Amino acid sequence: MPRITIDPVTRIEGHLRIDAEVDGGVVRKAWSSGQMFRGIERILQGRDPREAWLFTQRFCGVCTTVHAIASVRAVENALQLDVPLNAQYIRNIILAAHAMHDHIVHFYHLSALDWVDVVSALKADPAKTSQLAESLSNWPGNSRMKLTAVRDRLKGFVDHGQLGIFQNGYWGHPAMRLSPEVNLLAVSHYLEALEQQRRINQVVAILGGKTPNIQNLAVGGVANAINLDNQATLNMEKLYQVKDIIDEIQAFIQQVYFVDVCAIGAMYADWLGYGRGVTNYLSVPDLPLDTKGTQFDFPGGVIMDGDLAHVQEIKTFNEPFFRENVTESIARSWYDGAWTRHPFEEDTEPKYTTFQDNGKYSWVKAPRFKGAPMQVGPLAQVLTGFALGHKPTVKWATKTLDTVGSIAKTRLSPAVLHSTLGRHAARMIRTQVIAELAQKHWNLLVNNIATGDTSIFNEPVFPKGEQRGFGFHEAPRGTLSHWVVIRDGKIANYQAVVPSTWNAGPRDEKDQPGPYEASLVGNPVADATRPLELIRTVHSFDPCLACAIHTVNVEGTEIAKVKAL
Amino acid sequence: MIRVLGLGNVLMSDDGFGPYIARVLDAFYEFPDEVEVLDLGTPGLDLTPYLLRADAVIFIDTVTSDGAPGETRVYDREEILRYPPQARTGPHDPALKEALLTVAAAGTGPSIVKLIGVIPEWVATGVTLSSPVYDAVTPVVTLVMEELGALGIQPIPRPVPRSPHIWWGMPEGKVPHAIAE
Repeated sequence: MPRITIDPVTRIEGHLRIDAEVDGGVVRKAWSSGQMFRGIERILQGRDPREAWLFTQRFCGVCTTVHAIASVRAVENALQLDVPLNAQYIRNIILAAHAMHDHIVHFYHLSALDWVDVVSALKADPAKTSQLAESLSNWPGNSRMKLTAVRDRLKGFVDHGQLGIFQNGYWGHPAMRLSPEVNLLAVSHYLEALEQQRRINQVVAILGGKTPNIQNLAVGGVANAINLDNQATLNMEKLYQVKDIIDEIQAFIQQVYFVDVCAIGAMYADWLGYGRGVTNYLSVPDLPLDTKGTQFDFPGGVIMDGDLAHVQEIKTFNEPFFRENVTESIARSWYDGAWTRHPFEEDTEPKYTTFQDNGKYSWVKAPRFKGAPMQVGPLAQVLTGFALGHKPTVKWATKTLDTVGSIAKTRLSPAVLHSTLGRHAARMIRTQVIAELAQKHWNLLVNNIATGDTSIFNEPVFPKGEQRGFGFHEAPRGTLSHWVVIRDGKIANYQAVVPSTWNAGPRDEKDQPGPYEASLVGNPVADATRPLELIRTVHSFDPCLACAIHTVNVEGTEIAKVKAL
Repeated sequence: MIRVLGLGNVLMSDDGFGPYIARVLDAFYEFPDEVEVLDLGTPGLDLTPYLLRADAVIFIDTVTSDGAPGETRVYDREEILRYPPQARTGPHDPALKEALLTVAAAGTGPSIVKLIGVIPEWVATGVTLSSPVYDAVTPVVTLVMEELGALGIQPIPRPVPRSPHIWWGMPEGKVPHAIAE
């Protein structure tokens, strides 16, 4: 059977290989393989648990903050340590800002060009483009003058034969379908999003001390001294800087990101029918509202077989339903043995073979929940939120489906979200909800400080003997969990089960494919030498294999080195 | 704004060279307000925020080149972007190039770009620099000072150096005082 190998597929740090068998222009079977080993968890053994977050923050250069937060939560869980309210809110605002940044970058800079034809934008009439934009949104950045400037700059690149960052795209591919005007508008927003992501990154810098590696965390709280009248501490001036940036970003998210995703969703509506894959979904609750992690602003839960009516909620940072049901399998991964174990009991002993279709073929382990593969990420977040009646999620999901439906002149139910474009829509829906909750948590923080509470830290104390803890965070790419075993105040074992492992993991001992692998089956492929359709589906998960397999990086600058065999 | 950006993963042995240099610079020198020295880790395309609103950027990173571990190399923007597939100037190469090209597409980004690199001995899981790469710390700091000097910047040595706080690990028997000696 003709086979396509895409290696590597990620545009950011990481090295992912996708193999697909194609028959009659349709994918019949697929493999997802992480191609590099690092085994960074081993560095943590014997270290002080209070410093673990500094190390885990370096697992991945893009997902820094999320590994820091999961680590302090794991150690706090092992000690059953409360976290002061101010610390929870400050962490929550950082997490929300990081997530908004991540989602904007993913949509515009890492995946929009799978759908947007940059070269076609040259044919656009800026006046018509501006009219179209004004019919969709009030955003002030869509003026005829600005769009003319963007088109002229693009034309300059093409005339000089230097497409620069755009040189690797699948321009003119038969699966590209937007009008020149929509393409021009999208390219303009691609460029505008660069400035937006720089702005929102500043929230992380103001509260976290530095970016991309924040400095303000501690097991037991944060290190942001609060004194509203002191220049050197967290004060009203800094808090209002944060508020201003969140306001600006929310305007972009509502007036630009929302509209762009709805337009692409409507114009590629057939892609609401591809890329379904694994319909078991996992998300965990986040944005804690109390010191113990029993109440949250984001719900989490488990959906099996796409059955929203029987969603099972994950309620607290101590949830046994989560703690007891996560395992990882190495049956098909390049490690010594064939075990399926709980993260507390795992080891990381590499044993490389070649790429074996029916044997071992990946450095990524295969995580399972109650033995089942699970899809994680914004789609899982939105579907569990929807199923649990989370009001902001229901509101934005409904608004999105209505808007896409009205542009495409059809009625859409939430079932269309089980798809490649559904994942993009869900990421945008989630971003709208995050922006609203960032505002809410800013208010919670300011109001709590106003009551006179300036507490930010509870000192951790490590008793003799062994403690086990797990900490989770619903990261931009999905459920992240860190698992720590502490013995006499030192780390005895440490495992991170990361979102891209859940999604990009290989088959398991029962031969059940992982979410990437399952989602590719049934995908159309118009041109096997330019498999844009496969890249669309894989990119919809927002792959970031760096932390799943801890890779340094890859050579070359191509988006995807494609071998059609 | 002028930015001095250390790139690399501190959990990958010699790959932590860039962040190491950023900390040493900050510990031993005072910089004027228009200079930012940052340890960026391995940001991938998230490098772009640090390329916006910058007139000049000096990267410090490990590079792949013919030569012995610890040897240094200096590249400018044109050289970084000249031969996309062949010129493997560093393990973060794709992101470095993509980030530079991305901000260029927006008609912005630094007009002056320098990459000061060191050839690593080994890049694998670990938290210490190899001996030849550790020995390159002082020469690379000198190279950074030369590049800053060419931009009209004269950092002032701190009368009392701070601790560089190399929290991830030091080579055995070494101290983080490569500059003061």
